This record gives sequence, C-alpha cells and structure tokens, in this order.
Amino acid sequence: MNSRWNYRDLYYQALRIRMVEEEIIKIYSSDKVQSPVHLSIGQEAVAVGLCAVLTEQDMLFSTYRSHAFYLAKGGDLKQMMAELFGRLDGCCSGKGGSMHLSFPQVGFMGTSAVVASGIPNAVGAAFAEKMLGRGNLTLAVFGDGATEEGVYHESLNFASLHRLPIIFICENNQFAVHSRQHERQSYSLRKHVEAYAIETHHISQGFDFCEVASAFSDICNDFKESPRPIFIEVDTCRYMEHVGTGEDFYGGYRSAAEQAEWKRQDPLIKDEALKAELAPQIAIEINESIAFAEASPLPSYADVLKHVL
Amino acid sequence: METMSYRDALAESMHDALANHSNTVIFGQGVDDFKGTFGTTLGLAEKFGAHRVMDTPISEEGITGICVGAALNGLRPIHIHIRADFVFLALNQILNMAAKYKYMFGGHYNVPIFIRAVIGRSWGQGAQHSQSPQALFSHFPGLKVIMPSNAQSILESYRYLLSDYHGPVVSLEHRLMYDIQFDVDRANLRTGEQAIASYLAREGKDITIVATSIMVLEAVRVAKYLAEYGIDCEIIDVNSTTDIDQQLLLQSLEKTGRLLVADTSWVSYGVAAEINRLVLEHNPHLLKVPSKSLGMAPTPCPTAKVMEDMYYPNLAQFAQAIIAMVGASEGDIPLPNERSMSDVYKKFRGPF
Ligand SMILES: Cc1ncc(C[n+]2csc(CCOP(=O)(O)OP(=O)(O)O)c2C)c(N)n1
Ligand SMILES: [Mg+2]
Repeated sequence: MNSRWNYRDLYYQALRIRMVEEEIIKIYSSDKVQSPVHLSIGQEAVAVGLCAVLTEQDMLFSTYRSHAFYLAKGGDLKQMMAELFGRLDGCCSGKGGSMHLSFPQVGFMGTSAVVASGIPNAVGAAFAEKMLGRGNLTLAVFGDGATEEGVYHESLNFASLHRLPIIFICENNQFAVHSRQHERQSYSLRKHVEAYAIETHHISQGFDFCEVASAFSDICNDFKESPRPIFIEVDTCRYMEHVGTGEDFYGGYRSAAEQAEWKRQDPLIKDEALKAELAPQIAIEINESIAFAEASPLPSYADVLKHVL
Repeated sequence: METMSYRDALAESMHDALANHSNTVIFGQGVDDFKGTFGTTLGLAEKFGAHRVMDTPISEEGITGICVGAALNGLRPIHIHIRADFVFLALNQILNMAAKYKYMFGGHYNVPIFIRAVIGRSWGQGAQHSQSPQALFSHFPGLKVIMPSNAQSILESYRYLLSDYHGPVVSLEHRLMYDIQFDVDRANLRTGEQAIASYLAREGKDITIVATSIMVLEAVRVAKYLAEYGIDCEIIDVNSTTDIDQQLLLQSLEKTGRLLVADTSWVSYGVAAEINRLVLEHNPHLLKVPSKSLGMAPTPCPTAKVMEDMYYPNLAQFAQAIIAMVGASEGDIPLPNERSMSDVYKKFRGPF
C-alpha cells in the first residue's frame, strides 16, 4: 500500500459508495428509486483515487454511471438519495435522477446519458478556465465505449490544438453494454490519443484507490507546472450488469471466472476486518439519507414547469 | 432616420458583444479570415484578439459542446455557421445538452450560448445549403429561436440576447437580406423581453399575413402591390418563433378574419401549422375563410435555377393566394409578372 495516502480514509470513501449502491440494489424492487441505475460497483476505487487529489473548485464532467464520482467528488448523499427517489430536495429537484446527478458546489458539473456528450463540455470548461486566467483543473470522465464517438475525436483535437488544461479519464471496464472492446475498436486507445500529441498514462490497478491517487497526484503535480491536455486510461471492472441491479453472467458475454482475479485484489472484498469496523457508521448515514429522501416532498406541476428557460 | 444593412447590423452587434462583455467569445469556421463571415466578423480578431474570435476545426458537434462547457464556466460564446444545414451535425449538443442542461439539473446552470446560422437561398444552393430549420429548433423546450427580418430587429434582439438573456439561442439569419438597407430607429430600440417580440409590420384590415424572415419583406411587397387594387393587408413579423405574440395575432384576426402564413420553410409541421394551432385552439370562428400557407414545395431544394424558381413561392403566387382569400373576382386584379423572388434581393453574383 502506498503510504502517501491514508488507506483507511480512502477505504471508507470507497466502501461508502459500495454500500450506497448495495442499498440501492436492496430497495430497487420497491420502485422507490425512480430511474434506471448504472452501478459503479467494482469501479469505486477509480473515483475515490482521482477525487482524493482534486479540490472542490476542480470541475468534473461524467456520465450516467454517476454515483461513484458524485459521492467521491463530495456530492451530498442525502440530496442524492432524494434525487433517486424523485423528490424535491434531490440535488436536481427530481428532474435528473440517477443518470443526471450534479452538484456544482463541489465541481460535479453534470452527467450525460448520451454517450460521450459531456466530453466536449469539459473541454469547453477548460477553455474558459484558461481564457479567464484561472487555474482549476477540468476532468472529462468517460468509458471505453465513448471513445468510439466522433465528438471524442473532435474534443481531443481541440484540446490539443489549444493546449487546454484538461485531463481526460477513460474508465476502461472493457465493455460497452455487452460488447467487448476488441469487437468495437480497431485502434489502441492510447496510441490513438498520442496521434493528437496528447500525453497518455495508464493506471492498471484500478481496484487500488491508493495506487490511483498516487499515480494521479504525480500527474497532477506535473500538470500544475505545465497545464496541458493529458489522457489517463484506468483499468477497472464493472461487477454488475450494465444497467440494473443484478449480475448478468447468465447472459454469457462474460464469466464470473474472468472477474475472479480482479475481485481477489479488491480491498473492499479482501479487507473484511476494516469493512466490519467501518460499515456500521456508514449504514447509519445511509439510513438517514433514505429517511431524508422519504420525508422530502413530491414535486408539483409548478415544479415540472420550472427551469426550462 | 438612419439606414443600415442587415450585414452592418450584424457586424455592429458582434462588435458590441465583444466590446461590452469581456467574457464574450466568437467561434466559427473562418470567423477571422479575410471574408469574415460575409463581413459580419471582419476586423474583430484584430481588434479583440485571436483568443476571442477564433477560427475552429470543422467539428460542429465538438465546438458546440465546447461552447456549452465554456458557458457553464463563465463565458458567453457565439457560434457561427455559414449555413443552417451544418448545424444538423451539432443537434446532439444543442438539443440534448444546451436545451436541457438547466432543466435536467434542476436549475443549477445557465447555458448562454448564441448560435448564428445563415439560411441560404439563390440558384446553386441545392438541397444541403438552403434549409430553414426554425420548426425543428422551436419544437424543443429550452431554446429561443429568432428569425430577424430587418436591421432594427438585429440591433434589438442581439443586444438583449447577448447581454441580458442567459439561455441558449438559435438565430436564423437569411443570406438574401445581408445587403438590404433598412430604416433603423436607434432612439427606440426595444429592450428586455420585448426585444424579441413579434412586430406589427403593416396595419391593414382585409387579411392578416403572418410571416418569418425574408417572407416579411415579400409580404410587404405584395401588400404594396395589392394596395393599388384596394386590398389592405396587415402583416405580423413573427420575429421569434418561440415567442410568437399570440395576442397580436388574435387581435389582428378579429379585425381581418383571414389568415395567410408565409414561412421560409416547408409548411407541414412548421410555423404555418403552429400559427394555425394557436388560432384554432383559441377560437376557430375567427376565420371567415379557410386559412392558407405559403412555403417551399414539399421536396428537397433543387439546384437548377429553373426548378428553384418553382420550389420557392413567388410574388404572383403570394398575390394570388390573397386575392382568392379576400374574394376579389377572378381577373379583376392582374398578377405581378415576376417569376423569381431571389432575383429581387440578390445583390451578389454566383451562388453565395
Ligand atoms: C449516443 C448513445 N448511443 C448509445 C447509447 C446506449 N448506451 C448506453 S451506455 C452504452 C455503453 C457505453 O460504454 P462505455 O462508454 O464503455 O461506458 P460504461 O457503460 O462501460 O461505463 C451505450 C451504448 C447511449 N446512451 N448514447
Ligand atoms: Mg465500458
């Protein structure tokens, strides 16, 4: 373990995310959660490791697989739960749901359910940051599948052309829904990015939040010396089905055996002692967030009509 | 009163947006070149800096997304397309992101981006350089769409939308109007939300013509022509297709009882359909005779001039529709002898 990062703190954060999602799984059949959910279980360490290095002013744009980054970036859990429950006190007043969480107070700038759509938005925010002479980081977080979209290419080109202060994070879980990367991509991810004269990095131990944090903090230190576009591929593993709350090995597109090695190294599974120690406190917070969500008022028709223009 | 061309009004609006707001930036293909977007951005890169008036890669979706992100982080981007047809590549960012960002996230964000797109017309434009997508953009909640038909409208609406309005805007300009001179009353520029309201372009008692963009100019021409034969047309310039002045429309129809909609696009599912809906849902008995709509033939735009002249409505067809509606007896009024509307406005040679 890397001593620069407090293992226990990061473990707590990652476990908190996993337990929140496990709670969502538990209650999902009640239909209290009112949107499709794309769970991050297995991928929490990426969000936790990266966000450990960021400040609240740094801006992060991500995707429909939003829970882990929302929580890791500092989004409020109660408001997230209320959002999932479709309540007025939700972080987006019930209009976003699981696929559209946002918490601008901590730089969690929005999540798009249209693959790759948030990438140019992050580039634009970085453009503004540079033009306005401010020094915060901007992150675009997306999956391996998003790199197949044309707008990803357009975004890399523009970011490199104008040397914008942006970090592209590709969470590579090797799947887009049920398709493997090699079935979809004729290119090698990082080689392709390098064709834009953008520096690339690879973090292969995406299960290890301390490792992610220390690798990312080295990159960020260097970035601060010389702000420029940087691309980081982080290997990770989605344990659950693409969307929904179950496992999907029955579908035959991947096997439990494939995940075994990853899970064997996953601290949230491996370190049972720490889990047992920290879980009760987290469970209390989760229960409070559910109580908060259930007590929050349902939106009215007047609320439906708000925020259009 | 001062006169000013459509082009100069655009150029002045672009200049003033940069001069008055240090967070305004202009993006677009060729905005800094020697032609400067048909002369509307000439000299601005030199005056305000290349970082504020920026030539872009040919990446309509990407640049639109970049404008959205820049707007979320404090800038007021203007994004210019020399043809409205090219904006279709950016529909994802406009419709799924810009139009939804405020709503989807419960009001946390404003996205002040201003998209200028030019409607092309005249021979040679063909199917992909001539489209007029106001119906498409006006359909989606979250956007404001304007179709200025004169220089005054540009000065008013651009000033308001580029300074005091904080959401996404699509402005559909018309290429054929760029060289036309208009009267401008600077002392009485409308402000606030009024700046994009519909205009009563002409008062009359026999028929209400509701028109968009260059069709307002056509309506004025046809009204002048028919006035000589005792037909008195009222003209409403829609100005903003998302902010149609319903009261102005209904009051006019109470007076005239006749409705003709003249739009720059196809009739079905378009402005004509929407204007008719507004009337019918209010009071179908307002109409003394069935309404009519004037728009492009229900085909893609053909390239050859001889076909283009048939594709767009001309002055004779416009006059004929009105004559039929007001019930003047056939043959009493000669039709204007003019086959091509483009010829009247086109001040440049060649297709652009
Ligand atoms: C433009 C678009 N096309 C298709 C979809 C359907 N879809 C949702 S998620 C997804 C896979 C994306 O894979 P990846 O980017 O690797 O992200 P992951 O789900 O693995 O986190 C697809 C195809 C979509 N939401 N948007
Ligand atoms: Mg993936």
